[in-house]
Amino acid sequence: MNLEKLLYDAYGYTEFRPGQKQVIEQVLAGRDVLALLPTGMGKSLCYQLPGKVLPGAIIIVSPLLSLMQDQVAQLKKMGEKSVIAINSFMKPEDRERVWNTLSTYKFIFIAPEMLVQPYVIGKLNALGISLLVADEAHCISQWGFDFRPDYLRIAEVLPKLGNPQTLALTATATDKVTDEIKRYLKLIDPFVYSHPMDRKNISYDIRKFDNDSDKLEELLNIVATYGGPGIIYAGTRRKSQELAERILALGMRAAFYHGGMEQQDRIFVQQQFANKELEWVCATNAFGMGVHIPDIRHVIHFQLPSSIEGYVQEVGRAGRDSLPSLATLLYAAGDERLVESLIMDDLPEKHEIELIYERGEEAKQLIEQGMIRETAYRIISYWRERLPLEGTLNQIEQLKKEKQRQAASIRGLVHTSACIRQYISRSFDQENLEIPPNCCSFHGIDYSLFKGLQNEPKASPKGSWKERLKVLLPI
Amino acid sequence: MRFDEVVLAIMKAVDGQRTVSSPYHLIKGKKSGQTIQDIGYFRLHPYFAVLPKLDKQDYLASIDRLQAQGFLIPNDNKVQLHGSAFALEIPSAPLNGWKYRGNENRFFARLSLVVQTMSNFMQGQKRFDPVVTDETVQAWAKAYLKRIDFRSSAVQEAFKNQLENSLALAKTSEAHKAILMERLSGCGVGGLTWDQLAMEHGLLPIDVKIAAVEALHAWLDVLEGMEYPLLAGMLEGIIQQSALTESAKRTQNLSERGFSLQQIAELRQLKTSTIEDHFVEMAMNDPAFSSAPFMDEQLFQSIHHISKELKTMRLRDIKERLPEASYFQIRLALAMRGDVI
Repeated sequence: MNLEKLLYDAYGYTEFRPGQKQVIEQVLAGRDVLALLPTGMGKSLCYQLPGKVLPGAIIIVSPLLSLMQDQVAQLKKMGEKSVIAINSFMKPEDRERVWNTLSTYKFIFIAPEMLVQPYVIGKLNALGISLLVADEAHCISQWGFDFRPDYLRIAEVLPKLGNPQTLALTATATDKVTDEIKRYLKLIDPFVYSHPMDRKNISYDIRKFDNDSDKLEELLNIVATYGGPGIIYAGTRRKSQELAERILALGMRAAFYHGGMEQQDRIFVQQQFANKELEWVCATNAFGMGVHIPDIRHVIHFQLPSSIEGYVQEVGRAGRDSLPSLATLLYAAGDERLVESLIMDDLPEKHEIELIYERGEEAKQLIEQGMIRETAYRIISYWRERLPLEGTLNQIEQLKKEKQRQAASIRGLVHTSACIRQYISRSFDQENLEIPPNCCSFHGIDYSLFKGLQNEPKASPKGSWKERLKVLLPI
Repeated sequence: MRFDEVVLAIMKAVDGQRTVSSPYHLIKGKKSGQTIQDIGYFRLHPYFAVLPKLDKQDYLASIDRLQAQGFLIPNDNKVQLHGSAFALEIPSAPLNGWKYRGNENRFFARLSLVVQTMSNFMQGQKRFDPVVTDETVQAWAKAYLKRIDFRSSAVQEAFKNQLENSLALAKTSEAHKAILMERLSGCGVGGLTWDQLAMEHGLLPIDVKIAAVEALHAWLDVLEGMEYPLLAGMLEGIIQQSALTESAKRTQNLSERGFSLQQIAELRQLKTSTIEDHFVEMAMNDPAFSSAPFMDEQLFQSIHHISKELKTMRLRDIKERLPEASYFQIRLALAMRGDVI
């Protein structure tokens, strides 16, 4: 089969991006595949194109509602019409309609908690599944930074679905996580494609300060000197708002973005950024999904990320166009304390575990009373069905150690007195890198490369409503 | 109108008779019997459901401001206004919440997608990320665009002209219209967030939201005139035909078929108190509603008499003087004052 021709006929592209062709060939050859492709490398094409050839449905299991919605929107934008997303937030009347017309869809996105329901399994089996895609497959691993217990249930469903051919996709995975993905998804002699994590066009810069005010001053200095478009990751919603105000006060175009804003406003900020109406977006880690902008020049961390994986994912939003881009991590003494407390806050406490074991389903009511937290309930009720109390306590203890390891590796990143690029690669078990020019602050960066890169951002039309209307509908 | 003025306008009406959180429920459009009934009692139709997504924190911030300015006296039980609040002139606004009930937002979502699509196609851009993600709205907009043949430049021009001419006639300020247009997106132009608009117009974000609702209500009033068919086409299902809530409508149907209050409660498997709420709602909205099945004429007159004498609509005060009347009878009689709607 001529894949290039298929690609051109289906989507009008003339060539594949690195990795896509190898993965697609193996998928079409009927093999299980595990593909590690950095974000922005066109992961979804790896199942989209096979969908053009394979006879049955492509089921894509996706862990996050917002991610699912974004992918559906992207597929539709590429002209794909037979796409549907099934999640537990659907209205009953919509669900009814979807079940009755399921066979008319080629690409079926589904949340893991829906996939395990017997009714759903029956419907999917009647359909005939050509390929099961586990998107963000690292969520299956409890060693991953993004563990979702619901995801483990995929493994339990596979036999009931007749063990379909599986494609596991992820952007970030260490060897340990890769092993778990293979094991849980029961991948049989899988073809593993692992794209180098390393992004040569990104220069890693770390700057350390004794206190917060120096750090802030440096940030303002940086945004005044170097250009955008750029993302500034702040640790909290309040901080993102505060930073945007400071940058606006300098006369630059900035906005804040966080999960507490209404959805329409979040879309507006994404659009403005994509339209170059904004130079800087100050955001929490809620910003990123649904942002498909190739020429982000600068990603600044004003707060320590909570894991290397998260850091790489956020930094990886820069320079998708392969042009030189800067990743700056700003650190003030004591910053790690906030991160460590955030990380540990996520873990179920011993008393929560015991309560959930004691009360079972009823423990749900304790969430409202503030006795236990929802995340703790979700994780522990999964284990409760599978392990005795001792086993789960042990599991969580292991998890705690893993989180501590993650925190330590972030601390190590900040305080490393060697090459930052190599430090990051090593945490993904990838070694022997060549050092590109402008590698990192250890090997030296020619900052003049990044100075004044910014295009003058477009002024958004102000003035009377009639003028605005004329800009919107220029006829 | 500023948000604080909306709150104050409601408080002036319910002063001393309702809790401090009652304006919050009204502004959010809560469909409880109490809230619905208050609209009639206190003539609060303009403000019902003007901000369905109102955040409790935003409301409490407004309460803090009103207290700090001395208009509102801190009181845990009921609204207690200072004399200065009554002296304060509150500007009139084209708000018509009881009629639109938050549906104006659906109209605006449709408009946002239609304008964005036309804007992109006019400029040769056929692929873009839709600014509204709700699939029902997307499906509606797609069908509408197809129906009006939106690719034709004559249609595009007519659309723009109708939009401009009708909005020009809307009885609201130019600044409010600007806020509304700035919430629209087009090719290479993103809509502005509430915070951005607040900064630009020197207002609070919550004030900008109210301004947008005012502009929408004033505009919808013009569009209903049907002289702008391309825009009127977007009103489908937006304007409530019956003033009753859905549930009350069902109760009304059963009542018209001769079922008693008790029977309706059993048939619908709802609490008697809920069905009573529906009758109160019907009493408020239907000029022909008769109280005869529920009380004799004499009791009806006594309730009104005492309400006038005591200058109150507090049920408890009336009940104290008229222990033989049930709370339901009092509510029903008050709802039928004849000057509602």
